[in-house]
Amino acid sequence: MEHPLLQPVTAAYEEYLRDESRAVGQAEAIAFPRDEAEVRAVLRAAADAHMPVTLQGARTGLAAAAVPGGGLVLNLGKLDAVKGMAQEKDGTFTLRVQPGLALSRLRKQIADRRFDTTGWDVASLAAYDAFMAAEEQFLPTDPTETSASVGGMAACNASGARSYLYGPMRRHVRGLRVLLAGGDSLTLRRGQVRAKGRHLALVTDAGRRLDVPLPTYEMPKTKNASGYYIADDMDAVDLFVGSDGTLGVITEVELALCPLPKVIWGASCFFAEEAAALDFVIGLRGQSLAQVAAMEYFDARALDILRRQKRDNPAFAALPPIAPQYSAAVYVELHCASEDEAAEALFATGTAMEAAGGRAQDSWVARTDFDKDTLIFFRHAVPESVNMMIDTRRKAHPGITKLGTDMAVPGAYLKEAMAMYHGMLAEAGLEYAIWGHIGDNHLHVNILPQSQADYEQGKALYAQWAQRVCAWGGSVSAEHGVGKLKADTLRVMVGDAGVRQMAALKACFDPRGLLGVGTMFSPMGGI
Amino acid sequence: MRIVVCIKQVPGGSQVRMDPVTNTLVREGAKAVTNPFDAYAIELAVRLKAELGAEVVALSMGIPATGALLLDAAARGADRCVLLTDRAFAGADTLATSYTLALGIRRLGGADLVLCGRMAVDGDTAQIGPELAEALGLPHLTEVDAVLEADASGLTVQRSIEGGAKQTVRLGLPALLCVTKEIGFPTMPSIAGVRASRSVAVETFDAEALGADPARIGLNGSPTQVVRTFVPQRGAEALPVEGTAGQQAARLWEIFREVGS
Repeated sequence: MEHPLLQPVTAAYEEYLRDESRAVGQAEAIAFPRDEAEVRAVLRAAADAHMPVTLQGARTGLAAAAVPGGGLVLNLGKLDAVKGMAQEKDGTFTLRVQPGLALSRLRKQIADRRFDTTGWDVASLAAYDAFMAAEEQFLPTDPTETSASVGGMAACNASGARSYLYGPMRRHVRGLRVLLAGGDSLTLRRGQVRAKGRHLALVTDAGRRLDVPLPTYEMPKTKNASGYYIADDMDAVDLFVGSDGTLGVITEVELALCPLPKVIWGASCFFAEEAAALDFVIGLRGQSLAQVAAMEYFDARALDILRRQKRDNPAFAALPPIAPQYSAAVYVELHCASEDEAAEALFATGTAMEAAGGRAQDSWVARTDFDKDTLIFFRHAVPESVNMMIDTRRKAHPGITKLGTDMAVPGAYLKEAMAMYHGMLAEAGLEYAIWGHIGDNHLHVNILPQSQADYEQGKALYAQWAQRVCAWGGSVSAEHGVGKLKADTLRVMVGDAGVRQMAALKACFDPRGLLGVGTMFSPMGGI
Repeated sequence: MRIVVCIKQVPGGSQVRMDPVTNTLVREGAKAVTNPFDAYAIELAVRLKAELGAEVVALSMGIPATGALLLDAAARGADRCVLLTDRAFAGADTLATSYTLALGIRRLGGADLVLCGRMAVDGDTAQIGPELAEALGLPHLTEVDAVLEADASGLTVQRSIEGGAKQTVRLGLPALLCVTKEIGFPTMPSIAGVRASRSVAVETFDAEALGADPARIGLNGSPTQVVRTFVPQRGAEALPVEGTAGQQAARLWEIFREVGS
């Protein structure tokens, strides 16, 4: 297909055929549009040629939504401007951001209060003046990979450790501009278009009316990023957040910022037994402290991985020594208005440790930047180490990858879920480590296969867990999204009827089924 | 046994303001942190406390806000916090500072062991430790990487000397050591430690309480003449280079040409 914006996918573009999931796809052409008009031109050309289109942000996703299954790749990396700013009546600042801007760069612009205001309107410049005089602001969504793009984060409804307090990306999206497969556009602002029950009526910018029947399934009452967000009387914005590049191209995201807490402290709380750590989490959560922004878990095997890395790998020498008697750790982050408030919340955390059978002295408190950096290094060293281990094993067994779950369960099933994971993994004799967002009962069970047989066995366990978690009312993917790798497990969650209703919904926006082919709907293999 | 750890407040990050009149650092209003090397001195003090049952005193000369850093040392295991603070101390060079710190240690009734970081990251002089040892009349060792043995009478330490060689020295107490990062990873405070530090009061002493000679403290007592100080202008800028390998190479070539011209 010939088009001035399209380039054939040669060896130079190979990296655009994969993402962080390590799945590899294929495509005929790739486009790097620089503005919305070029995105529209590419979409129209693809529609005319009936070519599937796979959307890409920064390709940091873990579920292969950005991995093309043929057709053309629409990479949004060059749309990376902040287009304007506003201040709402309650003082909240919002930014209109193009989808390709990396989170790390957005964070820096917000922290430095330096934006390229070329092309900003008068209202945006006035808001910028107010922003300069206001207290420090931040975007709370904190995925591990800070090179993630804003559009990708909206498309997969990204979250991170701090989602425990601030919710996922969805909560911070105030509005969207979306181009549909044929090139028509939608301008959506939260609060302006709501469904009536399970029926959504939308009008495109060109005046075309879209009547969208919404699926009838009920979403899990847990953290969730599986399938389309559906609820009675839902806001139209929420349908597109988390739609994984299957309904339209997000060309602008209006993001609400939050005032940066004056005091942020972290505490890693260690326990000799996992049971005490779980009791601690349940106890601390029960106190409903407004300051707790994150609760992250590391099991005995994750701690052992860190101990080995510190001993064997000079790159991890700066990890603090982990006492041998510790077999579970819970990282708690406190966001507070003052040091006194932080101290009170910290001491409540200590009391919760003691109530769970732990000791307040078995903890690391980070109040200085140096100590905070140490704890960030500690937390990120676990997945990094596991990825290194898997990369080494892949040399001998190219077919294997890490098998990481992303399931969340209702709070009442946390202990049961943990017992299920340990029991079934011990029975299977598989190597693994568990860590993740325990505050939301959302743990990543990471199976570390040593052979193809281990890998197959791990996949079978994964499928069994999906069944069990869904029976408990949980979610098969709480933050990574379904992408191309978890369509099977999504079917477990919403059923065949749910998938059919999702497909009908998609057809309202993308009748020829060109966007995100293979994402959410048909499995590409693997998990 | 009493171990005194000397702690200096230094500016955090890279934002530094100078007083254009006195040519000294403006410490008020700046984000302050404990000198990173002093964290290793605190670490050693707390370890020796566990081994020998010593009392650990965190000592600093500084503005009142430095008390917060002393309390952080208390959360890490120091038993007492002592702050020498007086407007008359302002502008002190290393000689006036070591004189003042020595008065403070004498005011406490002396120390069996004084620990300093190898240097401060703002002034980079590495003079305070040796000068303080002289002022107190104590033997001292710099560049101490490890304490191999410790008892109430003395320490066996390993230190780095010229040419990358190591030296093992037996040192009687009282003495002063300047320690390096090799001492070991600074342990973070625990929740219990932070809780305990809330009941520690910062003991403050001014020039009068120390019986200081006004001619030997602050700017008056500082023979060092700072002719000029300035914050280096940093012209570096990070430019994102994106696209395919070929596009990135082309963009890099353009940038090199622009910079070169």
